[in-house]
Amino acid sequence: MGEFLAVRGLRTWFHTRGGVARAVDDVSLDVRAGGTLALVGESGSGKSVTACSILRLINEPGRIEAGEIRFKGVDLLKLDDRGIRHIRGNRVAMIFQEPLSAFNPVQTVGAQIVEAIRLHRCVSRREAYARVVDLLEQVGIPSPAERAREFPHRLSGGMRQRAMIALALACEPELLIADEPTTALDVTTQAQILRLLKTLQTAKGMGLLLITHDLGVVAEIADRAAVMYAGRIVEEGPVSDLFTRPSHPYTEGLLASVAIDDLPPGARLPEIPGMVPSLLAMPKGCAFADRCPRASRDAGCFADSPAFAPVAKEHRVACFQARLAPVYPLRVEKNDAASDAAPALLPPADENVMAVA
Amino acid sequence: MYLALLKELLRNRSAAAGLILLAVVIFAAALGRVWFAGDPWEMSAMPMIWPGQDMENPLGTDVMGRDMATGLVSGARVSLLIGLSSTLIAALAGITAGALGGFYRGWIDAFLMRVTEIFQTVPQFVLAVVLVAIFKPSVATVTFAIGIVSWPPTARLVRSEFLLLREQEFVLAAHTLGMGDFRLIVTQILPNALPPVIVMAALNIATAIQTEAALSFLGLGDPNVMSWGTIIGNGREQVVDAWYICGLPGIAIVIIVLAFNLLGEGLNDALNPHLKER
Repeated sequence: MGEFLAVRGLRTWFHTRGGVARAVDDVSLDVRAGGTLALVGESGSGKSVTACSILRLINEPGRIEAGEIRFKGVDLLKLDDRGIRHIRGNRVAMIFQEPLSAFNPVQTVGAQIVEAIRLHRCVSRREAYARVVDLLEQVGIPSPAERAREFPHRLSGGMRQRAMIALALACEPELLIADEPTTALDVTTQAQILRLLKTLQTAKGMGLLLITHDLGVVAEIADRAAVMYAGRIVEEGPVSDLFTRPSHPYTEGLLASVAIDDLPPGARLPEIPGMVPSLLAMPKGCAFADRCPRASRDAGCFADSPAFAPVAKEHRVACFQARLAPVYPLRVEKNDAASDAAPALLPPADENVMAVA
Repeated sequence: MYLALLKELLRNRSAAAGLILLAVVIFAAALGRVWFAGDPWEMSAMPMIWPGQDMENPLGTDVMGRDMATGLVSGARVSLLIGLSSTLIAALAGITAGALGGFYRGWIDAFLMRVTEIFQTVPQFVLAVVLVAIFKPSVATVTFAIGIVSWPPTARLVRSEFLLLREQEFVLAAHTLGMGDFRLIVTQILPNALPPVIVMAALNIATAIQTEAALSFLGLGDPNVMSWGTIIGNGREQVVDAWYICGLPGIAIVIIVLAFNLLGEGLNDALNPHLKER
């Protein structure tokens, strides 16, 4: 199987008055044909900028400084305006976090999808409309013909996100980029939308790049995940491997902070101490060094940024102190939780600062 | 959607009043031509017959013995024509300049806004007078001159709307679907920017009609066309002896300006989302 989407050494920098913000700095990632890559990270870690860079949607003062984005062998960064417009919406589509603001408020949902189809396909308005009803049905919208005539604000949140997915699928893209598709929805709707995405992906054999800060979402639908921190990818690997044997201290911290089921009642939630460094004033060494329990001067954590190197099969990490943690306990038995929860949760031999009261 | 807007307008008191007044003027301009079909410049009777004195000339005659009713009907047509078409010119110019500036920003915006500012620093009416005086006064040049002096506010308004709207996510979403700039501007941003522009256009028509009246009052109107301003200008020396010669077209101007102002206000209430909650 050839390469599907390969991002290599992408740097997207924002030239602001306060200096250069390296929102995406030397990011490489792969989405495999028919596969799902989750791009995980907290707000401001550069996930969305990475996604927007793929479709070249970066506006001033941002600029893609370097890198390659190869989509089926074609470097998207080298295409002219016509070329990239032919990719957008047609072969690579994107769905957004807030489906209400992603629809034009003065056009009906149906009209907007018709327009999307007719941008790339030579079909009559009538044919396109028939396809719209078909699409809305596929994404599970009841009475699709009536809903197509509604304005976006008349649909509920979950319904709108479904319509958004229908809009993205209008031209049967080969790659779908989903930028936090479930963040704005309530939990039950989230599950439905995720299931829908998964089903549609399998049915159409699309590649999916899923951007999220929700590790639960990652576990549910992704097969590989890349963890971003301060504009760089710090760890990448198969989800099963990454979740059970995280190797970067940041990934460990993230996983610990969601494993609250394993905590004794009344315990303080684990957290990663400190703050993400400002993109305008990045430390010289590893961006995570200041917050890292394992950082040491001898290893060079404060002097150089670590290279991205494999620690296991298909599992790479950017850390000088990288080691595979022992198999991570995803669930701890209730009875020994009271006294042993903290050591059981955290990789041993770590002067870990994640407080457990 | 348009039907809903019309309903909303009719429920709004000022808009309904404006629409009714406007209907009266349009009615007069259209049907008046049938009843008073003569040439407004023709001397048809004794000069200065007062309104009501003679049923041949129900609204009287002016100093030259020209029928007032025929003149007023012709004036209504001219006012509406020049008011609407000059506003259309102003709106098209303003929307184009504002949309390009607001969408592309950068040097295009800087350039267009400097041009707008130049127009705004020159007093509108003086510029209109100069423009009409340079070209020969005719309906076309008057329309053009009024249009040219009144586009800057529209341009600024459209630009500010575009600056806001271009950052909206639905524009980004449309961009990811592969839309080009022209399509983005015309199908995505412009429809959302239009409501305040429509309101401004309605008010603009009223101003344009006043400007046209002022120009023809000064003798800068089309010499072949009888407009309200012309009638007032001709009658101004007899204003003590025969006030109706200035008074009747004056009332006509008040009615039509009021109509468009009320309509503009009503449109603003109907289209402005911030006022909806009241």
